[in-house]
Amino acid sequence: MAPTPAHLALITLLLPLASAALIALFLRRAGALAQIVSVLACAGYAAAALALAFGGHRETAVNASLDWLAIGGFTLSLGIKFDDIAALMLCIVAVVGLCVHIFSIGYMHDDKARARYFGGLSIFMFSMTGIVLADNLFMMFIFWELVGFSSWLLINHYCEKQSAADASKKAFIVNRIGDFGFLLGIIACYYVFGTVNLAEIASKVHGGVAVIACIPLALFCGAIGKSAQVPLQVWLPDAMEGPTPVSALIHAATMVAAGIYMLCRIEPLFAAAPAALNVVMWVGVITALYAALCAITQSDIKKVLAYSTLSQLGYMVAAFGLGVATVSNMYAPYDTLFFTGAAAAMFHLTTHAAFKALLFLGSGSVIAGCHHEQDIFKMGGLRKKMPVTFITFTIGVLAIIGMPFFAGFFSKDAILYLAMLKSTPVFIMLALTAILTAFYMVRLWKVTFWGETRTAESSHAHESGPAMLFPLIVLGILSIIAGYTVIYGGAFDSILSRIPSTYGDPLHHTIILITSLAVMVIGAGAALLFYKSAATDSLRDRIPGVFTILTHLKETPDRVYNYYVAKIQQRFALFLNFIDQFFIGGLVVRGLAGVTGFLGLGARALHVGSIHAYLYWFLAGAVLIWAFAAGFLH
Amino acid sequence: MNPFPVDLLLLSIATPLAAALIIAFGAHKKLALFLAYIGFSVPALVAVYLVAKFAGAPQHHGYAFFTSYDMGLAAWGIKLTLGLNGISLGLFALAGIVGFAAGFYALQSGAERLKYYLLLLLVMQGGLMGVFASVDIFFFYFFHEFALIATFIMVGVWGGRDRNYAAMMMTIYLTLGAMLSLAGLIAIYIKSGAGTFDLIALRETIAAQPLSALVQKNIFGILMFGFGVLVSLFPLHSWAPLGYGAAPSSAAMLHAGVLKKFGLYGLIQIALPLLPSGAGHWAHILGVLALCNVIVIGFVTIAQSDLKQMIGYSSVMHMGYAFLGIAAMSTLGVGGVVIMMIGHGLSVALLFLLATSIHHRTQTFDMAEMGGLAKQAPVLAAFFVATTFASIGLPGFANFWGELTIFIALWGFSKWMTIAAVAGIIISAIYGLRSAARVFFGPQSATFAKVAAEHSPADLRWSERVPALVLLAALLLVGFWPKIITTPLNAHLNHAPYISQK
Repeated sequence: MAPTPAHLALITLLLPLASAALIALFLRRAGALAQIVSVLACAGYAAAALALAFGGHRETAVNASLDWLAIGGFTLSLGIKFDDIAALMLCIVAVVGLCVHIFSIGYMHDDKARARYFGGLSIFMFSMTGIVLADNLFMMFIFWELVGFSSWLLINHYCEKQSAADASKKAFIVNRIGDFGFLLGIIACYYVFGTVNLAEIASKVHGGVAVIACIPLALFCGAIGKSAQVPLQVWLPDAMEGPTPVSALIHAATMVAAGIYMLCRIEPLFAAAPAALNVVMWVGVITALYAALCAITQSDIKKVLAYSTLSQLGYMVAAFGLGVATVSNMYAPYDTLFFTGAAAAMFHLTTHAAFKALLFLGSGSVIAGCHHEQDIFKMGGLRKKMPVTFITFTIGVLAIIGMPFFAGFFSKDAILYLAMLKSTPVFIMLALTAILTAFYMVRLWKVTFWGETRTAESSHAHESGPAMLFPLIVLGILSIIAGYTVIYGGAFDSILSRIPSTYGDPLHHTIILITSLAVMVIGAGAALLFYKSAATDSLRDRIPGVFTILTHLKETPDRVYNYYVAKIQQRFALFLNFIDQFFIGGLVVRGLAGVTGFLGLGARALHVGSIHAYLYWFLAGAVLIWAFAAGFLH
Repeated sequence: MNPFPVDLLLLSIATPLAAALIIAFGAHKKLALFLAYIGFSVPALVAVYLVAKFAGAPQHHGYAFFTSYDMGLAAWGIKLTLGLNGISLGLFALAGIVGFAAGFYALQSGAERLKYYLLLLLVMQGGLMGVFASVDIFFFYFFHEFALIATFIMVGVWGGRDRNYAAMMMTIYLTLGAMLSLAGLIAIYIKSGAGTFDLIALRETIAAQPLSALVQKNIFGILMFGFGVLVSLFPLHSWAPLGYGAAPSSAAMLHAGVLKKFGLYGLIQIALPLLPSGAGHWAHILGVLALCNVIVIGFVTIAQSDLKQMIGYSSVMHMGYAFLGIAAMSTLGVGGVVIMMIGHGLSVALLFLLATSIHHRTQTFDMAEMGGLAKQAPVLAAFFVATTFASIGLPGFANFWGELTIFIALWGFSKWMTIAAVAGIIISAIYGLRSAARVFFGPQSATFAKVAAEHSPADLRWSERVPALVLLAALLLVGFWPKIITTPLNAHLNHAPYISQK
């Protein structure tokens, strides 16, 4: 019997959960076995996901939804909405997930807590799939919290390090700030629309139910937290404390992109409240530019990539915010995309997942090769030592800076084109971000791979094993071809056909092409000329003023955060504690002084200290009361 | 229907009490331990069995397993009437499960004068089963007193730091609270004119002829503050962190986990249905006080450095959510309170158990003197982390459903209160994760390194794992399959027309 789509969908959801449960219960000490279970589960997951996505089956409900909890008039149900966008996201999670699982076999081979690590990956795959498939907002929120937990678990992997413990805590708490708004938004939806089902909300909005901008904005808070947009961006750079494959999977390709995915899911709400869309756009643009500026001064290879991720996520959020409903799409069914901006955001999310996972895994290969050195100024000359890593990393760099014919070129152009049509300031800021992107990526690439080896670690560097190189090659190929929409075989046409295109608009076509080439050449060329592969940062040496300003730019939010936690929040808590102890506790006791005196006798009796005395008093009392009540009342 | 020759509800109450009685009359130690095992196991087994059988059981006015005994007080309208409805079923199960875990842990604890310790714990256990099995308000109250007095003695005798002061504070607050509640209950008895303490009869009488608005207002106020003290409603909560900080672990588990729920249970089982307009009058005040529980006490919890005090304060904070569910005055809100009570009861009991286990290994409750314990005790760390996430409302654990349904219900009552209440999820994440990090992660503190060098800390022993596993499994069961609680609960609440439907 061939598995039905409903079976396949359940496999994607339950296989990782089963793997995680098995590892947690029985394989805690059997790292090698846990690894096999987890990787096999992920392979099965990927097979099911791809079969589902390319099998052509699309339904808003693959499975009849199931009531999970019902009290009074409220019902929370589990259901699957499997449209093109869910199918695309599921493919991304499956492909990147499998690559990361395989890469981890090599990267984590000598880790003592391997079982916990692979169990964590499985939990993550389960939770992420729940977000992708959810047909209603409460279900999405449930899995949204669960990815937060798996993120906490995996960032905290090296938990004997204070920095890892702090980073994981920070990630979860900052995400909870976003979830605060998200949950309120969902509850508001429940009361305004009488439902949280995505398709039903869409039809209600089209039916004319008014949407106040607060609702989509509250929901957007969730995306600000999960996708680390300004002002909640502080957790993502710290999250690099986790093992590098985790950074690739969770903190680059999939979980942090869940915010953008969620926005695309609730698009009808934004369509009905364009003011909210403007806010989204500006948050994205600011994040994109700010993070790109921060990336320039970083010397830790993972931190550069982390800020780059922030910046690219800002790009996606900005693209969503730029959303222009095109006329033809007004007739589309309610539950499919009708924003070109959302299509552009999803397209960039797809290509970004490929090349950013590639870059992170490449950095993992570099870090493993250099015996866990992460400072790029202590590397150098790795192109000869690690040729495969070098070539694939180069592909990743070319893809992210927008080299023609590589994946990033197409998706970034689509966003720039949209910005040009909608708003000139946004266009300028995004173009500037693109220059900076080319600049810091080429800097990273040159300092790491070119020149001579500078330390013992890098001169003893060695190429990684096949388990790590295979995913790099796969992702390298995807980073080239993911930009050509033909390769998807028409499976996601409702998204891909709406990507803004300059086709049939030769004037804009030329402008965009020139802009994007110029942007890339300026950024990359400047970095190539300016930086040399040396033990110190050329920017710090030559223009210390700019370097200092950029460093402050990066550090100020961290300082504000630390100041808030240590000084404001803690002092406020201590102050309330004082009030509680000395006023509330004390006052009530004093207010009860009379009663205390009355009970003082009893209280003193309790100080006698003989346990027998208490017990017999207690029993005697009970019997006496009973006898009194039963006997005398008759 | 009942294949057993005895009334199971009566059995679950009588077994621990009988065991206690035999121990009191001088059973030697081996027999005492044996009796204690029986006394803690029987209620748990009965509870699990009755949860499984509830759906098919014949009902008497909404109560399954209904029986009534004349104890010689029938002339006053007092009978030992036992039964379980949709609300009490889950709490009865909670009492059985937490009682088993606390009893098992106490049996293995090697406490001084273990026999008497077990005796009091058995009295407490019998009382707890009685509270939730009673349909008669008099016995509902009577059983509570039984358990409460045992708690005072346990804190006073086996308590830790400041035990005398803590026992005195607890006694004063809780006795006052109990007296107020009793006054309220008696007032209902008198004003209803039904001449009985039987809850079914009271409901029918009052449904036929509701109490006047003024009477309802006054009685609900008395009950709200009386029960409020027992559940640590702000600003009457000061006994809780102090008492729990000093209480021996099993007593803290049973009190914070189960006995404290008496007040909330009384409010939703008795006060809300009988005094609906009174509840409406007080709802805003209750809501504001409960928000103080969530926000003010939430921040106070952040400030704690003593692990046990922190758990005590966090428990006070979470009771705020439960009160908010009551203030929402809707079916969904009441349902949320029941789930919240169960989730919180299981998780706080487990936290107290684990806190003691941590103390055995670090010789301190001061979190500043811990750190890095996960390295020596990974299983203990896993349990603590799982319970912490349960208590801060991670989906997959029972507590999440409680918080979620209360938030949703509260929005229908007041949007601003909901916004403030939801902010609590940030606060609880801060103190919860901070405590896990300070105890288990990062490098060892200098003090703990010294302690660990002398006595290398072992991982969780089986005597600790068994009760911990039972509690965690229950948390996960309700988390993954909330219908086990909500199906009977919902069936009951949908027949309760006195609560506004939302």
